[in-house]
Amino acid sequence: MQIYLPIAEMSVNAFLLLGLGGGIGFLSGMFGVGGGFLMTPLLIFIGVPPAVAVATEANQVVAASVSGALAHWRRGNVDIRMGIVLMIGGFIGSTLGVWLFTFLRGIGQIDFVIAVSYVVFLGIIGVLMVVESTRSWFRSRNPMAPRRKLHYHNWLHGLPFKMRFRRSKLYISALLPLGVGVFVGILAAIMGVGGGFVMVPAMIYLLGMPTSVVVGTSLFQIVFVTANVTFLQAVNNQTVDVVLAMLLVVGSVIGAQIGARVGARLRGEEVRIALGLIVLAVCARVAWTLVATPDDIFSLGLGGSH
Amino acid sequence: MRRGAAFRLRSGVRAAALGAAVIGLTGLGAASGTAVAQSLVADLSRTQIDISTGFAGEELLLFGATEGKGDIVMTVTGPRRDQVVRRKERVAGIWVNGESLTFRDVPAYYRVAASRPLADITGPKTLDRLDIGTDRLELIPVEDRPAGEVREFREALVRNKQRLALYSQDSKDISDIRISQGRLFRTNIPFPANVPTGEYLVNVYLFKSGRLVSQTHAPVLVRKAGLEAEIFRFARERAAWYGAIAIAVALLAGWLAGVIFKRT
Repeated sequence: MQIYLPIAEMSVNAFLLLGLGGGIGFLSGMFGVGGGFLMTPLLIFIGVPPAVAVATEANQVVAASVSGALAHWRRGNVDIRMGIVLMIGGFIGSTLGVWLFTFLRGIGQIDFVIAVSYVVFLGIIGVLMVVESTRSWFRSRNPMAPRRKLHYHNWLHGLPFKMRFRRSKLYISALLPLGVGVFVGILAAIMGVGGGFVMVPAMIYLLGMPTSVVVGTSLFQIVFVTANVTFLQAVNNQTVDVVLAMLLVVGSVIGAQIGARVGARLRGEEVRIALGLIVLAVCARVAWTLVATPDDIFSLGLGGSH
Repeated sequence: MRRGAAFRLRSGVRAAALGAAVIGLTGLGAASGTAVAQSLVADLSRTQIDISTGFAGEELLLFGATEGKGDIVMTVTGPRRDQVVRRKERVAGIWVNGESLTFRDVPAYYRVAASRPLADITGPKTLDRLDIGTDRLELIPVEDRPAGEVREFREALVRNKQRLALYSQDSKDISDIRISQGRLFRTNIPFPANVPTGEYLVNVYLFKSGRLVSQTHAPVLVRKAGLEAEIFRFARERAAWYGAIAIAVALLAGWLAGVIFKRT
């Protein structure tokens, strides 16, 4: 069944979108990630204009994160204070990001920047995940090996504006989570992701937050930051396609529920290795679009006025 | 829009409906010779294309009649916009958009059809004057560049438009207007799913032994309709509200999903 997307201005098969949403939802439910980093490149591959894919995906991530955020909230797994500091950073970052996005779109470099961002961040995160989870997988088979310290004290802990985060049992400079928030906010705006895949490792390794509150707090701030991105993209670029977003949402919420059930039966390390490999595969696919000689080195840009 | 009424006939013959026109024409032609010898009537199956939820492209039928034998050429020109053409360059192994050139008032859609190859119908001067043929389309860059470069960008523009099915293929070997019984002609005008919205103009020309003897034209309106149009207009005109509603719907959908699946 073909459906016309009013903002993307293209006709696509509705079942393809539902299936895409379902598939990515399944993976995101299984791995406990937002899935934006998989969905946005896939949308671009099926021909959705990158600007629309990124903005719409932010809208979809709002829906995908809110039920998780609420669930964690009820269980008390959200460090509200930390979440608010991250959120303020996220607002600043995503506002900057959308501004940057609009600028890059105007000069015709947005597709390139989106692709490069994907290659760089998926590459780094994918490698780290595979290495880390492979190590811990080996460690789990050899329990005698010494355990590493969770986090180290360094110059970052000497920054001013120290704040106490009770839920996270931390006394650190507010600049640290603020900076993380800004950074992830920029990524969210440019890559059309929630940024959980950067946020979660940053919270664990950089801020030293206990894992129990990491996911809840990350989801909490993702809801707000992606909502901000959705709003600003809608206002500045008119690139949020609600029809596309809703089709993806329907598919992904169902997929996520099934995925979560399957994921619960799998071993943590194996799940992380698998996710790391998927991340690297997407990274490689996007990288290929950058280095492969295009069919036509000329392309049509956006129309001007009138 | 009323059918048929949109077509103005140069020869002055007017007809409320095509059926009447064809009958009238043949009748008149037989009776009075030269006065209507240049006549050409044509009509479209529709004069408006509505892009709504199920839209996956549409084909219009152009049909008409001529007095006596001749060659028919049709062009369809979409709304004009400035069009940027970008060239990728390889920088350190990566393809990046480099040089660009903007053309002024480029038709977003262009299609040509003819009853015989264009070169056999009339001379290059006439084709140029009437903007017939994708390779003859007048495309003017906004800035001065060397001729070779302009040509390269121009060819790229046409090629990319053709790939999007928004421009018809090269006009050299077309003969996609079928003429039956010497004077009835018909052709399909495909509008792909990605067709830009706006006003289109269908031009029909009648040539006899290389000379343009009659022409007629009709507008076609391509517009978003129904829910699609509402969403699009809302996104443009009330961008802040659109954004806020998009967020609200997403929050609701996510929350609802959580509630539903917790119960089951």
